[in-house]
Amino acid sequence: MAVWKVSYVVKGSDKPGGIVNLDHEPELGETLRVGGDQFEVLEVLELIPPRGEFHYVHATCQEIDRQT
Amino acid sequence: MDIKALLQRTELFCGLEDADLEEVAALCTERVFKRGDVLTRQGAPGAALFIIAEGLVEVLVRSQAAQQAVVNLGVGQIIGEMSFVDRGFHSATVQALQTPTVAYAIQHDDFRALCEENNRIGYRVLLNLAADLSFKLRQRHWSGG
Repeated sequence: MAVWKVSYVVKGSDKPGGIVNLDHEPELGETLRVGGDQFEVLEVLELIPPRGEFHYVHATCQEIDRQT
Repeated sequence: MDIKALLQRTELFCGLEDADLEEVAALCTERVFKRGDVLTRQGAPGAALFIIAEGLVEVLVRSQAAQQAVVNLGVGQIIGEMSFVDRGFHSATVQALQTPTVAYAIQHDDFRALCEENNRIGYRVLLNLAADLSFKLRQRHWSGG
């Protein structure tokens, strides 16, 4: 039951970043869905070492234009 | 997701045993919010911790005249932890971004009593609380806040 606690920021957008739990490690190019928004993952960094079942990463994302 | 499964996936309760989680679950009260409903209001006295079980919330901080959204928090994240630690006022307004947003509330006084009564829970929770605050601080640094 590993949990990835993901801090994310949205590059080039006024949207605030956030913190979400995922059941897998985010991957480059993956679409991160948060509420009604969709973000493409551009970069993933381990923020701090894992503790128990929890992994801590930071992801830089960009908003996906839903019209494309 | 039932309460115990949610607590297992919430960092605040990392390292707690099943029996401990059941004690925590017994303190939880389900609250359901609509988009725009306020969970905590900046400057108001803090009385409860919230654990997001479904949906998404937005954390808003007012400084001088402007109110700014600083971070969104999803399932498994906690709210009201600063006022739990320092007994001060809420440091931010938190409002639901989705309908429904479901959260479990734990009254600060009840949670403090449990942590005092069961030091294993108290030790783990305080350690995890420090880690959660540290993570949020790192998130603010990365977001330029």
